[in-house]
Amino acid sequence: MFLQQLINGIIIGASYALIALGLNLIWSITDIPDFSQGGIYVITAYVAYFAVKLAGFPFVLSLLLAMVVGAAMAFCIERFLYRRFTGHGRIQLLCAIALFFLLSNLAILFWTAKTKIFPSYLPGGLTLFGLMVSYQRIVVLVVALALFVAVYLFIMRTKIGKAIRAASQDREAAEVVGINISTVNSAVFMIGGALSATAAILISPLYSVFPTMGDLPLLKSLVVVILGGFGSVAGVLIGGLGLGIVESLGGVYISAAYQHGFTFFVLILVLLFFPKGLFGRV
Amino acid sequence: MTDTVLTKKQRQKRTRTRNLIIIAVVLALLAILPQVTSDYITYVAVLAIIYAILTGSYDLTTGYTGPLTFCHGAFYGIGAYASALLTLKAGFPFWVAFPLSGIMVFIFAAIIGYPGLRLQGHYFAVTTFFFGHFIYLVILNSVSLTNGPMGLRNIPPPEGFLGITFTSLNSSYYLIFIFGVIAVAFLYFLVNSGIGKILISIRENEELSQAIGVNTALYKVLAFSIGAGIAGLAGSLFAHFFRLLHPTTFAWMTSEMVVIMALVGGLGTLIGPIIGAGIVTLILELMRFAPEFRFIIWSVALIAVLIIEPRGLMGLVRRIQGGKK
Amino acid sequence: MSAFLEVKNLRKEFGGVVAVDDNTFSVQQGERLGIIGPNGAGKTTTFNMIAGYFKPTAGTIEYEGRKISGLKPHKISQMGIGRTFQIARAFGEMTVYDHVLTGLLAHHLHLRPTAEQHERVEYILELTKLAAFRDNLVKNLTIASQRRIVLATALGTGPKLLLLDELMAGLTFVEIDETLEELRSINEKMGITLIVVEHVMKAIMQLCQRIIVLNYGKIIAQGTPKEVANDKTVIEAYLGEEETYA
Repeated sequence: MFLQQLINGIIIGASYALIALGLNLIWSITDIPDFSQGGIYVITAYVAYFAVKLAGFPFVLSLLLAMVVGAAMAFCIERFLYRRFTGHGRIQLLCAIALFFLLSNLAILFWTAKTKIFPSYLPGGLTLFGLMVSYQRIVVLVVALALFVAVYLFIMRTKIGKAIRAASQDREAAEVVGINISTVNSAVFMIGGALSATAAILISPLYSVFPTMGDLPLLKSLVVVILGGFGSVAGVLIGGLGLGIVESLGGVYISAAYQHGFTFFVLILVLLFFPKGLFGRV
Repeated sequence: MTDTVLTKKQRQKRTRTRNLIIIAVVLALLAILPQVTSDYITYVAVLAIIYAILTGSYDLTTGYTGPLTFCHGAFYGIGAYASALLTLKAGFPFWVAFPLSGIMVFIFAAIIGYPGLRLQGHYFAVTTFFFGHFIYLVILNSVSLTNGPMGLRNIPPPEGFLGITFTSLNSSYYLIFIFGVIAVAFLYFLVNSGIGKILISIRENEELSQAIGVNTALYKVLAFSIGAGIAGLAGSLFAHFFRLLHPTTFAWMTSEMVVIMALVGGLGTLIGPIIGAGIVTLILELMRFAPEFRFIIWSVALIAVLIIEPRGLMGLVRRIQGGKK
Repeated sequence: MSAFLEVKNLRKEFGGVVAVDDNTFSVQQGERLGIIGPNGAGKTTTFNMIAGYFKPTAGTIEYEGRKISGLKPHKISQMGIGRTFQIARAFGEMTVYDHVLTGLLAHHLHLRPTAEQHERVEYILELTKLAAFRDNLVKNLTIASQRRIVLATALGTGPKLLLLDELMAGLTFVEIDETLEELRSINEKMGITLIVVEHVMKAIMQLCQRIIVLNYGKIIAQGTPKEVANDKTVIEAYLGEEETYA
């Protein structure tokens, strides 16, 4: 049982980490807590679902499609909404939250509240420590790790990546040095959108598709970002996995009902007593 | 040209008289409402008044003092459940439970606000979002206490006195109407008093406010807690009027709704959010057959307001008036 | 016998950078003291420490015999020290009248401002030549006016000591002269001690009785305007900037 929950925790934690990576990038550069990623999570899940169910796309193709849609959505949100309100953080936050609700409710409107079962794409699994772990679960972790490495390399090695790093440390200084902030903004939003989409599609075959599926992952990922304090890429990964594990085990050994509440309670406590975040970078 | 004929003081007096007349007319209309309209409209009016109290108190915190919060629905909910449980399970009379629940929410908010309002940037706003959801989860899952998703029923109406009872719709209406008037009057006097100016100074420029001697941390917590306390009182009124509580009434959508009402009306004007509450309540009821549409309209409305006129209806009014000059 | 304001061994480090390096000076009640120095000399940092925005890394600041270093800005204001800001700051959505009134209310809160408070606001508005703008929204006025409003608001708090941070920046010669007159009036008629940080040399030389010169965080000269103007180390420090400010 413990092992089962541990593995569940790792898997769900990996999805949190993916979303958190995008949120982290966006928040550290634009100072916007991008709640709309929760909406992107939901919409892209449905896009992938219909791609597979109606158009018969293979899983990988639908995943890629979802990532593109996610990136496009995020790009448009930044370009046509957030950018109008540069310098007005409160309005941007209000927009982000409004979008979160709007997109989730659009999903209800278009596709009803009924849960949809995402078809399995890779049946079977292996036995690990006496436990049967489905291949689809392993894929989640593998893809997540791969993406983390990819984003890490992107940020460290490419020109845009360096621009992103500079901007996340000091936006004004970066602009002075000649970095095109618009490009950087678009880039991080697209990355965020693609990452949220990936998390959604990887998780869908395991936990189905429903309109409010983005609510908790978004909040949990925000918790990871806030508690991690805009740390390193590795920090987000560890934070995400850690939260997933703690949550999963807590749900079994402490209380299933309070599983989610517990996370928020811890966040609130930490923020109240450590206003500078756990790593002093608030 | 007429402006030069009247002095500034005379113009002010005229505006004040005009406003007083408008208020008197509105109050009179509201006072006779149950006598001349159907039960259904009276019921909607009760909700509108409760929402007006909610948005007015929200405006105190966010419109006048500054910090954006997303947990007003949670304060409403804590007040509702606290009052209901105090009467149902602890046997208190409504007239004790009502103020007690307001005080409880006030204290709750102070505990969260005191450290929370020190957070920089968006952290406090995001924390209130989490807090709001957390409270909803607690209410939902504390089944032994709140009955969770099965709802808390048979909440007693307020006890009567002097031969008046509050079991009928009309009498409940009048009770809530009177409390509404008291709450709005209180808020009005507060924001137009010396304290109101101090709060506005904090919103406008917290550093300058500190430099002139204002203990901004204290005032922010006070404004946050008083706003919350009043929301708690509104919750209590709702609980004993509706006599049935369900956790979803106090989920994050409610907090969002308060924000939207206040924003659509115009943050920082008091009258704006109250009007916003009226409008949104109306739409709420008109669209009660299609809940998903409601949420979508609200979200779109919020974004639209932000794009067109972030200062809401009152901002539009001011724009038009400014054009006249 | 302690002076009005005593700064002892004041030091401020930011990370590895020493902004203010072990400075000691005092200010007498009723004085008009100027603090000058090239950019980055530590003037505003010193200022901000007196006003409570930074905690000194070392050293103390005493005001009327009480230690104020490390106290929060609002407490320092309550003790009778007012200040203005280099960057434009104001309560934009207030009228000029309310803006000044708020300064009074911050020190003597009344739900309904008293008649005396209203009188005082009128007095200050007259003194700072803002009476004509009393009903205008502050956000609609020029930056120069807004600075004056902040000064007026600071006066409303009933300070015994005023810290003025680059009040003259960007003003025309005429405006500078007007401001100098106002400041002299505030000092002589209202008995308020002034500490002025300035880049506009002409203004500070005319206004102040005593001047402290900072460079790289250290005091390099102290004295009357004439003494300081002729001081070799001061001239060296400003070498290259002489043309701009002479």
